[in-house]
Amino acid sequence: MTDARVPAMALRGLTKIYGTLRAADAIDLDIPVGSFYGVVGPNGAGKTTTLSMATGLLTPDAGTVHICGYDLWQQPDAAKPLLGVLPDGLRTFDRLTGAELISYAGRLRGLAPDVIEARRDDLIATLDLGGAARTLVMDYSAGMAKKIALACALVHAPRVLVLDEPFEAVDPVSATAIRGILIGFVAGGGTVVMSSHVMALVERLCTHVAVVGGGRILAAGELDAVRAGSELEERFVELVGDDREHRDLTWLRPS
Amino acid sequence: MRHLLAREWWRMLVLVASCVWLVTLIPGVLWGRYSLLQAIPDARMVALTTLGFIVAIGWAALPVLIAGGDDTLDPRRFAPLGVKVSTIMPGLFVAALITLPTLFFAFLWLTLASSWFTEGAAIGALGLVGAAVQTVSCVALAKVTASWAARVFANRRARAVALIATGLVVAATAYVAWRALSTGLEKFFEENFDRVIDAAAATPIVSALTAPASAAAGEWASAWWRLGMAVAWTAVLVLAWRASVGLALVTPVYRSAGARGRSDRIVRAGRANPLLLRSDRIGPAAAVYARVARAWRSDPRYVTGLVSVVVMPAAFVAIIIPAFDLDPRWALAAPFVMATSVGWGRHNDIAYDSSAVWMDVVAGRRGKDVMRGRFTTVVVWALPLVILVALLTGGWSGHWELAPPVTGAAVGALGVSLGVAAVTSVLLPYRVPAPGENPFGAEVGSVGAGLVGQLASSAATLLLLPFVIVPCVLAITVDSRWGVVATVGGLGLGAVGFVYGVLVAGRLYDKRAGKLLAAIR
Repeated sequence: MTDARVPAMALRGLTKIYGTLRAADAIDLDIPVGSFYGVVGPNGAGKTTTLSMATGLLTPDAGTVHICGYDLWQQPDAAKPLLGVLPDGLRTFDRLTGAELISYAGRLRGLAPDVIEARRDDLIATLDLGGAARTLVMDYSAGMAKKIALACALVHAPRVLVLDEPFEAVDPVSATAIRGILIGFVAGGGTVVMSSHVMALVERLCTHVAVVGGGRILAAGELDAVRAGSELEERFVELVGDDREHRDLTWLRPS
Repeated sequence: MRHLLAREWWRMLVLVASCVWLVTLIPGVLWGRYSLLQAIPDARMVALTTLGFIVAIGWAALPVLIAGGDDTLDPRRFAPLGVKVSTIMPGLFVAALITLPTLFFAFLWLTLASSWFTEGAAIGALGLVGAAVQTVSCVALAKVTASWAARVFANRRARAVALIATGLVVAATAYVAWRALSTGLEKFFEENFDRVIDAAAATPIVSALTAPASAAAGEWASAWWRLGMAVAWTAVLVLAWRASVGLALVTPVYRSAGARGRSDRIVRAGRANPLLLRSDRIGPAAAVYARVARAWRSDPRYVTGLVSVVVMPAAFVAIIIPAFDLDPRWALAAPFVMATSVGWGRHNDIAYDSSAVWMDVVAGRRGKDVMRGRFTTVVVWALPLVILVALLTGGWSGHWELAPPVTGAAVGALGVSLGVAAVTSVLLPYRVPAPGENPFGAEVGSVGAGLVGQLASSAATLLLLPFVIVPCVLAITVDSRWGVVATVGGLGLGAVGFVYGVLVAGRLYDKRAGKLLAAIR
C-alpha cells in the first residue's frame, strides 16, 4: 500500500445532505501522495463538511473515502493511524495544559510514553509554545490553541495531514514556523490537505488545488492547470461566480 | 423580540403557551384576593409571608436551574461592543421588568396587596408600594443568583470555598432539621409556627409585603422600618446585579484563574493505578481516565452533579424521615437513591465531554478505551461513597445486620445504572451546556432529544433495578435469609451490568463515531 500511484486520499461520490441543502454533492477527488493540496471555496461551499467526512468526523450519506488505499469507514484501524487531523470550529478539551494535550493525543494513538515525551518537546519548541506548555489550554489565545491542535495532529507522525484553516488567527512568526513544518512534511513524502480562504497562501504553498462551490468540485488538479494562466483569485471568482449586488458606498468616505 | 421570534418559531409557541397558562392563573389570584379580604390582618400577614417566601425562593432558584432559554440579553454578549455598564444597565433593568413572569407577579402582588385597603387608604397605598418593591426585589434576586452562581462555579478558588460553605450549611441545616423535626412535622408546626412566621415576616425578603400588617396594628414605625429594609435589600441586590454585569463586560467568566506550572500528568498517567486493568494502564484508557478525572475535579458541570448526589440522600435521611415520622428503615433507601442517581446522571456522559470527542474519534476505534476510561472515573469516587453511605445508614437506622444486603444491592444499582447510562449516552446523546457555560443551563433546542434520552435511560434503569433491589427489600421486610441473595446478587449483577454496559457502549461508540459529533455539538 505504499505505491505512489495509490492516492493519499481518494473521495468517491461523497455526499452529505442537510434537509434540502446538499452540503457535499457526490464529490470525487484524488489527492496524490506527496502533494500539498489546497481546498478553496466561498463560505458555506462545503469544505468543512467534506473534510469532516474525509477524516471520519462525520458519517457521509453516500460515497467512500480511501486513505492510502484503505477504506476509512470500513477499515478504520488501518486508515486512521495514517491521518493527522486539525478540524476547524470544534472546541478542544481545554482543562489540560498544552503539553498534556499533546501527550493525550499521543496516548490515544498508542505511542509509548518515552516517544511521546520526545516528540512533545520537539513540537512545543518548534511551534514556539515553550512558555505556554504548562498553562491550561483554556487560557490560550485562538492562535495558540490552533498551534497546540496542530501539534496533536502531528505527534503520531501521520502520512496524510488534513488541516481545516490551519493559519486562521495564527501570528506571522508562528505561521512561518507552521509553513516550515508543513513544507518539510511534504518534502519527506507526506501529504497535506489544507482548506483556506487565503488564495495567496494557497498559491504560495500548494502544488495542487481544488475549488469547491455549492457542495461540488468546480475544478481540481495541479495549481497551474487550475489557475490556467491567471491569478488563482481571479480564477476562483470566475469559477465560483460573483453575484453580489454592487451598491454605491460613497457615504463611507470621511469627507 | 420580533427578530428572535422570526428566527426561532418555537419560541412563539412557548410564549403563547406561557400566556395561556398565566391567564388561567388569574382567577386563582382573584380568589386569593377575595380570601384575603375576608381574613383578619394577622392571617393576611401569614398568607403573604408564606407565599412571599416561596415565590422568592422560586425566583432565586429557577433562573439558575433553567438558564439557557434565552441568552439574548446575556451581558457577556455585549462585551465585544465596548459599552459601559451604566449605559446598558437601564435597558437590562427595564427589559427584566417587562418579561411575562415579572408582569404576572407584579399583578399577583398588587392584587393581593390591594386587600389592605380594607384597613384604610394609607395602609392600602403602603401595600401597593410594598408590592412594587417586592416585584423588583424578586427580579433583582433572580439576576444576582444566576450571574453569581455561574461566576462562583467558574472560579476554582471560589468554587472550593463555595463547596465547603455549602457542605457546612447543608450539614448544619440537616442537623437542625433533624433535631427540630424529630418529633414530626405536625408537632413542629404546632409548637413553632407563629415564631417562624414572625421571624420570616421581619426579613427583608418579604418585609415589603408585611409592612402594611404593622401599620394595621398601629405600629407605623415598624411599618416604615420594614418597607425601608425591603427597599435597602432591593438596592443591594440591584447593585450586586450591576456589579456582575460590569464584570461580565470586562472579564470573561470562564477562565482557569491563570493556573500554571503543572507538569505533564497525562503522559504516564495510570501506570500504577490499581483501579485500572493491567492492560489499560499503559494504553489509551488510562489517558482518558486521567483526562476525565481532571474534568470531575475542575469542571463546574461535573462538580455540581457530584454535589447534588451527596445532598439528596442527606436531605432524605435528615429531613424527610423525621418530618414525616417514617420508620428509620426508610433510611436504607438512601444508598439506592444515591447509587441510581449517580448512574442515571451519566446517561448523557458523552455530550458533557463534547470537546474531547473529536480527538477520540480521529484517533481510531477507541470506543472501548474511551468508555472504560470515562466510566472508571465515576466508579472511583461513586463506589466508595455508595458503600460508605450504605454502612452509615445501616448503622443510623439501628439495623447493622442489614448493612451487607443494602451494600450489595446499592452497589448493584450503581453498576446496573452506570451500564445503562454508558449505552444511552452513546445511543441517545443530546446537547448540553458546553464547557464554560452555565452548569445549570439547558441547551436551546435540545429539549426534545433530551426528553427521549432521559425517558429511555429511566425506563431501562427501572426495568433492571428490581433484580438488585427486590431481594434486599425482602431481606428487610420478610426474611433476613434473603440478605445473602441480595448481597451476592447485587455485587454480581452490578459488576456484570457495569462491565457489559461499558463494553456494549464501546462498540456502539465506534459504530456511531461519525454521528456523535453532529448530535452533541
